[in-house]
Amino acid sequence: MSHHLFLLSPTDTPLYSLTHYSSKPTQSTPSPLASNLPSWSTSAFAGTLTALSGASSATQAHHAQGGAVRLGGGQDRHVIQMIANASLDVIEEVMRRDSAMYLKSVDKFNEWTVSAFVTPGNFKFILLHESKNDDGIRSFFNEVWELYVKTLLNPFHTMHTPIRSPVFDSRVRASAKKYL
Amino acid sequence: MPNPLATGHLHLNFPSHPPPSTHGSLALFRPSSFPLGVIGIASCSETDSLSGILAEFNGLLGSLFPKESLYPLARNCFVFESDDGNTNLNLGDSLPGLVVIPSMMGNKKIYIGTLLADLCSQILGEFATVVNRLESPLGNEYLNSSLFPLLPPMSDLPEALDNIDDSKRASLPSYNSNPELSAANGPLKRPGGLTLKRNSTMGPGSTPATPGFRSASLGVQQPAKKRHSGIGAASSHGRLFKTLGDFFLLAGRIEDASVWYNEAIVLFKASSDPIWYASALEGLATITVLEAWSAGHGLHTSFSNGKEPWTDISEKLAQAVSLYSKPSISEIESNAPLVAYLYVCAVLRHTNLLFAVWSAKGWGPLAFTTMLQPGSTYYLPPTLSHPDSTSEVNLERLTSITNISRHQISAVLSQAHGPLLLHLGARERLAALEVVAGMYACIGYKRKEAYVLREVLGCVMDLIVCAREETHESRSSRPMSGPSGLGFKTLNLGNAMQAPDQGTVAVRANESKEGNESVLRVVKHVCKVHGINLDAVKLVNIHTDAEGNVRDSIHSSTSQEETLEVEPEAHGWPELQIGIVREAIAVAEALPGYQDYPAVAQFALSALKTLYPVLAASDQHHLYMTGTQALATARRRGDRRRVEYWSGQPILSIELVPPPLARLPLEKPLSVLDKRLSESAAILPGVTDPFLYNPRKSLTGKTLFTVASNEAVEVAVTIRNPFVFDLELQKLELSTSGVPFQGKAIPVTVPANSFHPVTLSGKPLEAGTLIIRGCVVQAPGGAPREFVLPLSTDEEEERQSRRRSAIECEVGRTKYSGLMSFPWVRPSTRASGSASGATAAKRSIPRFLECRVIPEQPLLRIRRISVTHGAVMLYNGETSTIRLTLENVSPISVDFVRLTFEDSTMAPAQQALADGELSVFDTYETEYDLLHRPVFSWSNQKQEQAITPGMKSVFTITCFGKVGCSSGMIHVAYASLNKPRDSLATPQQVFYTRQLSYPLLVTVYHMLECHAMDISHYLGEELSGREAVHASGDARKIQPLLSIEDEVGWCLFSVDVRNTYGLPFEVTFDREQEGAPPESVTTLVPPGSTTRVIIPLKKFLLTAEQTSQPIPTLSDRQFVIDKAKLSDEEQRIQRELFWYREEVFKCVRGRWREAGGTRSGELSLRKQRMTLPMLQAVRIETARVQMSLMRSSGALDTDSGILSRRGRTYLAEANEFLYLRTRITNLSSKPERYRSLAITAESRTDTPLTLTLDLASDPAEHIIYEGILTAIPVGHLEPEEAREVDLAVCFVCGGSFNITSTVRTLGALGDSGKVGFADLTAIVKCET
Repeated sequence: MSHHLFLLSPTDTPLYSLTHYSSKPTQSTPSPLASNLPSWSTSAFAGTLTALSGASSATQAHHAQGGAVRLGGGQDRHVIQMIANASLDVIEEVMRRDSAMYLKSVDKFNEWTVSAFVTPGNFKFILLHESKNDDGIRSFFNEVWELYVKTLLNPFHTMHTPIRSPVFDSRVRASAKKYL
Repeated sequence: MPNPLATGHLHLNFPSHPPPSTHGSLALFRPSSFPLGVIGIASCSETDSLSGILAEFNGLLGSLFPKESLYPLARNCFVFESDDGNTNLNLGDSLPGLVVIPSMMGNKKIYIGTLLADLCSQILGEFATVVNRLESPLGNEYLNSSLFPLLPPMSDLPEALDNIDDSKRASLPSYNSNPELSAANGPLKRPGGLTLKRNSTMGPGSTPATPGFRSASLGVQQPAKKRHSGIGAASSHGRLFKTLGDFFLLAGRIEDASVWYNEAIVLFKASSDPIWYASALEGLATITVLEAWSAGHGLHTSFSNGKEPWTDISEKLAQAVSLYSKPSISEIESNAPLVAYLYVCAVLRHTNLLFAVWSAKGWGPLAFTTMLQPGSTYYLPPTLSHPDSTSEVNLERLTSITNISRHQISAVLSQAHGPLLLHLGARERLAALEVVAGMYACIGYKRKEAYVLREVLGCVMDLIVCAREETHESRSSRPMSGPSGLGFKTLNLGNAMQAPDQGTVAVRANESKEGNESVLRVVKHVCKVHGINLDAVKLVNIHTDAEGNVRDSIHSSTSQEETLEVEPEAHGWPELQIGIVREAIAVAEALPGYQDYPAVAQFALSALKTLYPVLAASDQHHLYMTGTQALATARRRGDRRRVEYWSGQPILSIELVPPPLARLPLEKPLSVLDKRLSESAAILPGVTDPFLYNPRKSLTGKTLFTVASNEAVEVAVTIRNPFVFDLELQKLELSTSGVPFQGKAIPVTVPANSFHPVTLSGKPLEAGTLIIRGCVVQAPGGAPREFVLPLSTDEEEERQSRRRSAIECEVGRTKYSGLMSFPWVRPSTRASGSASGATAAKRSIPRFLECRVIPEQPLLRIRRISVTHGAVMLYNGETSTIRLTLENVSPISVDFVRLTFEDSTMAPAQQALADGELSVFDTYETEYDLLHRPVFSWSNQKQEQAITPGMKSVFTITCFGKVGCSSGMIHVAYASLNKPRDSLATPQQVFYTRQLSYPLLVTVYHMLECHAMDISHYLGEELSGREAVHASGDARKIQPLLSIEDEVGWCLFSVDVRNTYGLPFEVTFDREQEGAPPESVTTLVPPGSTTRVIIPLKKFLLTAEQTSQPIPTLSDRQFVIDKAKLSDEEQRIQRELFWYREEVFKCVRGRWREAGGTRSGELSLRKQRMTLPMLQAVRIETARVQMSLMRSSGALDTDSGILSRRGRTYLAEANEFLYLRTRITNLSSKPERYRSLAITAESRTDTPLTLTLDLASDPAEHIIYEGILTAIPVGHLEPEEAREVDLAVCFVCGGSFNITSTVRTLGALGDSGKVGFADLTAIVKCET
């Protein structure tokens, strides 16, 4: 089961991203409609379409192993980013009404559930996950926020520069291992 | 049958395409998605036969619908008679399925309405037939045979069953004719009629996987309830009831439909038939909407009772969706596409419900209208169709009114998205995605819309590519079937994008390019949402770029510059942007027809322009290559469009390159010609300004750049290339205004990532002011574009720095986030805030680089110069000439030439003068050197020199050897003054000169050196000296001395001349003195030796006026302050020394001559210093004192008694009485020469002197005298008067006695009173 974390600046530019693979098994049961997908075309555009609909690995896996495979493994990084970006629509709407920083499962797209955390500075932490883990995600976000604030304290760090600090990275990873 | 003219509503939907053949198996499951009736429309002229038309109609139908298809249930063809009226189609009535409408007939509308009603009643009738067949046990078994059953053709059903069903058959029309009865009786009839609850398991055609599943769940058999023991009558009636419900719903009998749906649901709940169950739920939901619509259509009040009425429907639909989403594996195996299709339809239906309610501001007539709107395009309620409908405020308002939040809609809608889309056929998928995208657009979810639109594009492009491959294989076109095969009408996607589906249809058809525009618009929209402005580089039509474009682009370029400036931070998601741009280019490349190359180029270059900070090097290369290749291809294919210039503001700086010195015109005021300033003015060039501090100076310092018309101007332009590839510019040209300018465009390749200087040249054609605004730049295949570059004036700099600090202040604070932060969204809102700043900026008109163009100027060149290799070799003091030949190479005659010179000795001397540390005397010497002894000089300065075009003129320059000079420069300034004037306007106060310069290397050999100048008293003939001279054999040396008569009035001038050179020189000193014949002494000075040259000099006296003058300064410098604080006495002596020295140098001149050669020159004595003894020697004393020794024996008044003497040495005998006669003459008689300050005031000028005489002897003790020795009164002496004082002396021993006498004026103290002096040597012999 994988998690994808993105830290976005107010101008939607990612400052930090993390892909975390947890050892926990996937809980969600795939929809039967998503299985046995046919492959329609071999053109590049069909590839894009397949990937965007969240089925790229499914078809390949189907050919490789057959039977019930892990579905919707749209692990294509580009698609993950697209989904994270698209979920901003919902986040922007929800945060307008909901003043909470932690927005639990604000969006669902393909097989992904999107949880978000909006800091007072309008920075958004977006986490794509597959299973429910409300408390873990909440704690995870809080820790990431704390780490982020610590990074911001650095006088040489401006709001719009990507975070490249290895300390930050390792701590976020540790936190992800702990909670996710 | 209802009355044809009865009131009521008939909802007819006219699909534009027949359903796809793959949907054939839905015929019974969802009749509503099939065309129930077909209306053919034909026009008929006299040549056509009705039977032919009918055959054609039927044939066409056959091709559109498969043979075994259930639908269409009714068909009719309306044949319109053509206007000419000549047709005779009277037998038309006899043909069934064909209605002829005569052209004469009036009120066709009503007639056609009747015909339509007729058709509808036919359809309703056919419903009955179909249901009849299904009601039979066999039919029911068929119905239950598979998930999506097909009714076999009529012939397959046994006739008998049809008859048996007669009773049932009769019941149906009764429902039709008596709706109110059915409403009342529906539930009641159930037990007797169709209430056979049968949850069957075994259908004949059921798949092997099914039985176990079904029997496990529902094993109850109810044979007792079976009405007919026919074949396969074991099936449940749920599906039959549901189908009945469908048909009732289609027939508009809502109550009946609702009854049968509920029946079916009861059965489905028991059995496990989720798909059909879901479908029944959908039917029920539809019924509720219809009921609400029919009930509330008239009244405009919305429901307001606690629970929103639509929640019920929504729940039903949600249930249906969840049922659809969980089909059994077996059902999916065979029918995956259809199940997925139904699932998507249900999701969209659910979304549509929520959307309609939301957009219509609640459950009310508007919502029903939205949902029931007929027509092929989707109906957008007025709440969303106005221009700013997508503004957050509006959307939020809708949410707060309806309590349906947008993310609720989105959550429902996103269920439709997933891998299951791949199950759908291409067209259904396309249609579904379009609807999804449209929905997202309407609820303002632009990013999600963009996401889905990318999939739409993927679909479309996939189809295009596949179709292209297919047409390559076989030219036969596939049957046309549009995306509206899906039951949903495609949404019109608001104003952002207009009906892309129409485009896709056209694209699918063949390789026509119609529709490309729409696809590209979708691409651009997607990119824009992600923060890439693909329109950043615009396409311009080739026609417009001739004149107007350049003018228009001015504003855009300046504003461009501004936006570039303001753009410090990144927007959007760079990785996504890059991916999307790549895809956009791929789409543009794959578009059919002409493969939209300009669009490819536009996309590639726009992406480069907007994204280059985040693009990797390889991406930049790729984009650039793609762009340029596409442009080249487009041009090859004759495309009329071009991209405008794209790479930002490339011009960084523009500077005028000063022309070579020979061409540089220098402005001079005309007044210079009228009056020459004094010669001395030229000593200190640059310091001509008499004021030490001149505030006006700084103002005049900034002069305009001046060029002559019709001559090339060079401009250095710095171009920037921020990209990693070599940027190629097809054309780079200056953009100017003012006087006409003939520029030359050049192609430039700017190296990667660098600043590149380019020199552009051109020619102004007229005199005036040339304004260089900027550059016109054109990339290959692009349109030219002007970039202006205002001069960075102070206020401009200030404005920019203010901007910069404002931006820096804003960095890190975000006012606009998300999509609002994109630069093309933001400025509109920001402009209002900075309006005041903008107007302020407007007020200061940008200044540009200016350049004054003056009328044509002549041009000279140095044709020839007489020195070889530009080197002059001279002896010190030698004078030679240089001949300079100038040629006029211009068509204008030169009538003014002036030569000025410069040499290496001038600068240090001028520097020393300017420093002012020199003493007055040195200052004078330096200035004298500069003025009177220049290295170069031009004799005929006043001569008017005219050089007509093409002619030559020779100038002679005198060259003087001066030690220390190593190089020199000849400047020739020339102008054309007397040009014919164009107008009568007053001539300008200035004229322009040009200057030619010729550098010279000067070598001056230092060979003769004068030193140790001395002036001594002439003591008469010294025998020893004469003998010595005789001994040396050089009688000539003393020749001048021999001619001197009166030794008293003379002195001797002597100087050592040393030859430091390797050649012998002949040195001559000339004396030219008033009152004495000219005299000259010539000696040969051999190399390495020193010769003393002696020349007698007559003593002279300068008047007091002359010597009292201060040492003059030759330049016109002011405020020369004497720094050395000298006392009056010292100053007097200094001035006296100065003036006497000058006088001596006037009298004595030295020359040299090469021994045995022709070269000659002058020998300067200027380095020699004059000392006070020399001064005393050369000056005529005030009182002349002559002493002589006389024997006392002789008469005193004659000279006979004078002792023998040699010079001033007297030979006397010891112990002999002698007289020492001192003769004192007052020489101050000549008034004009009697001005010595040496005399005190009361005894000045011609007043008689009262003198005393002091005598002294050495040794004094061996001399006896009578009287006193000091202060012997002499008395009054009138001028010219002489008096003798006698003193009796006696030498008492032998030896040499030195007797001195000093004359003093009476009363004066110390040295100042000394006016005369003499001495005498007496050699006294003792008589042994």
